[in-house]
Amino acid sequence: MNSLLMEFAKWLQTTWWALAISGSTWAYPFVQATHFSGLSLWIGTNLSLDLRLLGVGAKRRTAAELSDALFAWNWIGFCVAVLGGFMLFASAATKYVPNPAFRTKLGILIPLGIILHIVNQVKARAWGQTEETPLVAKLAGLLELLVWFSVITAAVSIPNYDTH
Amino acid sequence: MLQFCEWLEKVPWIVALNSSIVMSLILEIAHYSGFFLLVGTTVVVDLRVMGLAGRRENAAQLAKQLVPWMWTGLGMAVVSGFFMFAADAPDFYLASVFRIKILVVLLAVVFGAVVQRKVSQWDRMPAIPAGAKLVAFVSLALWIGAILAAVEVPAISGVG
Repeated sequence: MNSLLMEFAKWLQTTWWALAISGSTWAYPFVQATHFSGLSLWIGTNLSLDLRLLGVGAKRRTAAELSDALFAWNWIGFCVAVLGGFMLFASAATKYVPNPAFRTKLGILIPLGIILHIVNQVKARAWGQTEETPLVAKLAGLLELLVWFSVITAAVSIPNYDTH
Repeated sequence: MLQFCEWLEKVPWIVALNSSIVMSLILEIAHYSGFFLLVGTTVVVDLRVMGLAGRRENAAQLAKQLVPWMWTGLGMAVVSGFFMFAADAPDFYLASVFRIKILVVLLAVVFGAVVQRKVSQWDRMPAIPAGAKLVAFVSLALWIGAILAAVEVPAISGVG
């Protein structure tokens, strides 16, 4: 499994477009900015819904209404973040694959965050009919919030585990 | 100003703060979470004003729900950003791309504040005026510019 992943990483890293990103001084920051712009939309809208489920902050809209209003741009942000992230990964794949912080981020925390987010988004319709959300909604909101903070923690830890 | 930056860099607790791996990590987490919250909420409000998001929602109500998180995010990003800046204050101060970043961020905050102040008024009109959509678009574009300037700081100046 590990050697297969490394083979894939080696192949990916030497594709012409991955080489174009890693070999250029200006392309890399543009790809980074794409990843961060997507993340701002994705994480910003995720946290807004989680905080509403948690019942913290303004209650101008119910969680159901807020979830509905944010839905489209929430997932557009996700797609942009994944696109940018994949290009960043491709530019130095063999460095990322063995990195424990990267493995934790991509293998455990992000899948967990996405699952919790989908649950919260689907359930927001039932939980978010009234101004006050039920206890289970508060716990689910808090849990997703904590998972995204963990994702960011793992992400900023990647350079600390860099062995190259 | 440069003298202030040189002094700031050597303040004992700033040195202590930035030589700690855990504290540096916490500052980075706060900075990223803060700007994700700030930019994400601002952009959704901008897109709503432009008529591209949550059209079934009332723009003013959506803005009132999200604007407190915009200011919370800004507060987190500014406080953590200040300590990150302090660690290498003279280098950041002298880097022109860092100055551009700060200028773009300030402009983006001003446009965000204008959208926030005017959104109730725009919402009461039969249709959101074209001028309002332009202001919202500029706000959105400035935030993308701020992110681009931010990632260019280490890429161009080598600081941070």
